[in-house]
Parts: sequence; C-alpha cells; structure tokens
Amino acid sequence: MTSATIATSDIDLWSDETLANPYPVFAELREQASVVRLSTNGVWALTRYDPIRDALANWQAFSSNSVAFNDAMNGALVGTTMAADPPVHTGLRAALTENLSPRALRGLKSSIDEKADVLVANLVERGSFDAMDDLARALPLQVVIDLIGLQGDVRDKVLGWGEAAFNVLGPMNQRTAENFPIAGELFQWASTLQGSELTEGSMGRAIFDAADRGDIGASNAGQIIHQYVAAGMDTTIAAIGNAIAQFAAHPDQYEILRQDPSLIPSAFNEVLRYEALMLAEGRLVKEDTEVDGTLIPAGDQLAILFGAGNRDPRHYDDPDAFLVQRNPVDHLTFGYGIHSCAGQGLARLEAFAVLSALVRRVSKITVGEPVRKVNNTSQSLDHLPVLEFVAA
Amino acid sequence: MKIILDRPRCEGHGLCEEAAPRLMHLDDEGELILDIEDITENDLDSAKASVRVCPVAALRLE
Repeated sequence: MTSATIATSDIDLWSDETLANPYPVFAELREQASVVRLSTNGVWALTRYDPIRDALANWQAFSSNSVAFNDAMNGALVGTTMAADPPVHTGLRAALTENLSPRALRGLKSSIDEKADVLVANLVERGSFDAMDDLARALPLQVVIDLIGLQGDVRDKVLGWGEAAFNVLGPMNQRTAENFPIAGELFQWASTLQGSELTEGSMGRAIFDAADRGDIGASNAGQIIHQYVAAGMDTTIAAIGNAIAQFAAHPDQYEILRQDPSLIPSAFNEVLRYEALMLAEGRLVKEDTEVDGTLIPAGDQLAILFGAGNRDPRHYDDPDAFLVQRNPVDHLTFGYGIHSCAGQGLARLEAFAVLSALVRRVSKITVGEPVRKVNNTSQSLDHLPVLEFVAA
Repeated sequence: MKIILDRPRCEGHGLCEEAAPRLMHLDDEGELILDIEDITENDLDSAKASVRVCPVAALRLE
C-alpha cells in the first residue's frame, strides 16, 4: 500500500504569509516529497520539476476542468480554452492563438519596441519613480489597449479586472469572494461587447470580423477578448517588475547583460524561472495515477506549484542563484503542453522591448523596499520604488 | 530516429529553431519546416533539445 508513504502538510498555500513569500514554503514541501497532501487546502501539491512537467503534459489523467480552486469559478470557466480538455480544447486554442502566435505578432514588434523605448527614456529623465506603476503596468496597459482597440472608460478598468480574474482562481476565501463581482463585471462586459465598440484596424476588431464571417463561433470573439484582458495583464506586469527588481538586486548580472545584449532572451528566461508568475494552477485527477510512489486517486484536486519546480535542485544547479547566462528555456512559468501560456509570444515581445531599452539607456538601477501585491494566484510586486536610474 | 511534428499543435514559437537550426526553421510565413527529419547520431543532441524546448509539445522523436 502506498498510504503509509503519503507526505502531508498543514501549510495553507493561500495564507497572507505564504502569498507574501512562497519560496520557503515551496522549499519545505519540495524537500518533503514530490507529492504532498495539503490537509488545510484539500489538494495534492506537486512540488518537483519532473513530475510537474509530466503532469502538465498528461491532460488525460490531469484534466483542466478544475483549473481553479473553487467550484463557482470552475463552473464559470466551463467551455473556455483554459478549462477544456481535448477534443473541445483543440479548436478553442486554435481560435485563441490565431492572433497571438509569433507570426501574427510580427507586425507589432516595432510599435512595442518604440513604446518601451519612450517610457524608459522618460523615466531616465525623471530619475526616480515607481517601476510598477510607471513601467511594468504602463507598457502592458498601452499594448493591450491598442491591441484590443479599447476605447473610453473601459481603459481605466482593465488593470483591476485583470487582478480580479487571477484572485478568483483561488479557493473560496475572502479575496476570492471580494473579487467575484469585479471578475463578473469583466465577464459581463466581454460577453456583451460588439466589434463596433473597438477601434477600427485593431486586432480586437479583426476577431469580431472573423466571427461575422463565420470563421470562429459567434460567442468566441467576446471569449477571446475576455482571455486577453484576464490573462494578459497581471502576468506580464509581474514579469517586467521582477526583471527590474532582479537587475537591481544583482548589479553584477545586470552588467553582464549590458555588456552582451544578445543575452536578453536568456536573461528573460531566468527572470521567469526565478520567480513564477502564478502561485499554483489546479487540475482534476481523472484516473488513479501514481506519481513517485504516491497514488493520487481519481476525483481529487491537484495544485501544480510552478515556482517550486523552477527552483528544484534536481533539475537546475544552484537554483536559488539568479544568473542571466543560465538560459533555462524549459522553465515551468509558462506551463507546458496544450495549455501552455497562449500569450507567451506577446509577453516575450514586451519583455524584450523593455530589457533592450534598459540595457541601451540605463547603466545602473537602485531600488528601495519592494511591496508585494497579495493575490490568490498572480505573484507580483505592487510597488518598486526606483531611487536611481542612471543614464548609460 | 525520426523527428515528428504535430503540425496542428505547432504555434510557431520558434524555440526549436534556436535549439536545432540545422534541423528546422520557420519560413517567411512563420510555418515550421523540418529540413532534416531522419536524425543521425551527430544531430541527436540538438534534436532532443528542440523536442525539449517546444512549449506546446508539438515535436517528438521516434
């Protein structure tokens, strides 16, 4: 029997304390076992690199039908790309990624590079600012507004909607309950949106045109826009903020990058490995599955801890070191397999634009005490005061 | 060994091309072209790397 070997822990993944700094918890659980039963949360946590990657690839055993950790949200997500399994998932994913694939995004590169360059140039003039509000939030917000073709008051709502969309993926705690109405407002807006409300020539408008032509289902257009707003903001913001925070914390690494900007893709992979953008993602166990000697029974809930896998010393040497030359292309932060981040091409465009503007224009970054954003799912800084932003 | 592309799954992220530029490339339309499908000993490491880095698991070696 495997029951004698079950590792258990009463750690609460979604306590304020864990969310503020999950890495000590990840390390403790990962050293305990690759599968740990979390009695407080009622889930099985996957903590090590290989089992996580295998689980992400194995949609037959580990279904996305319970990608969130509360029933109400899993109910609301039925029929979406994020929560569907093949064969339904296949068509939804194709419609979602049609406009997000690197080939579809090629035309955006120069405008995103220019946006990032203008932002960074202005911040060099200012010298001190909040890296989150003035750069990490400013760029993705501009990009998403232009991409979808948002007009009017809705542009002031998307940041709050994005945050809420990640909060409601958690268990039904106070944060989830408080954010349900806000996430619901986004859902309502997207499901009643008309193509004519979006800027002519925008990608958002093109998606509605595709629905009018019958190329995608009539309800798909609003759903795709919903996913752009819900998934595309918080994560990109977090990644850009983390990059600036790590460059400031590791000036030697920033200098290596400045000396060789061809390392930008490698450095961004390291930023993503070093701090995952999501605390956990759920899976529904569809068939009894043994993982490293522990039987996970059908019907149970899995919590995939991306950040724990990304710091697994069984896979990465010296995993707690931030090294811009490491190039960990197989990090888990974008997930893996059929549900891997659909927006990763756009995320790379935005991050590469910021990083190349930084290395070109800024020789040294000094920051004050960062403030974390407490969210049930997205792992991000809320504020990062930049004290010195020295012109190159 | 042979490298096999699940074309409907491929989203053109291009990470495989960076891992194995001798074996595959994205064309001007961003479609993945396999230049060498039958993998010999010399190309095995880069073929494995290309399979490993595909974010959507669209490549496999058989």
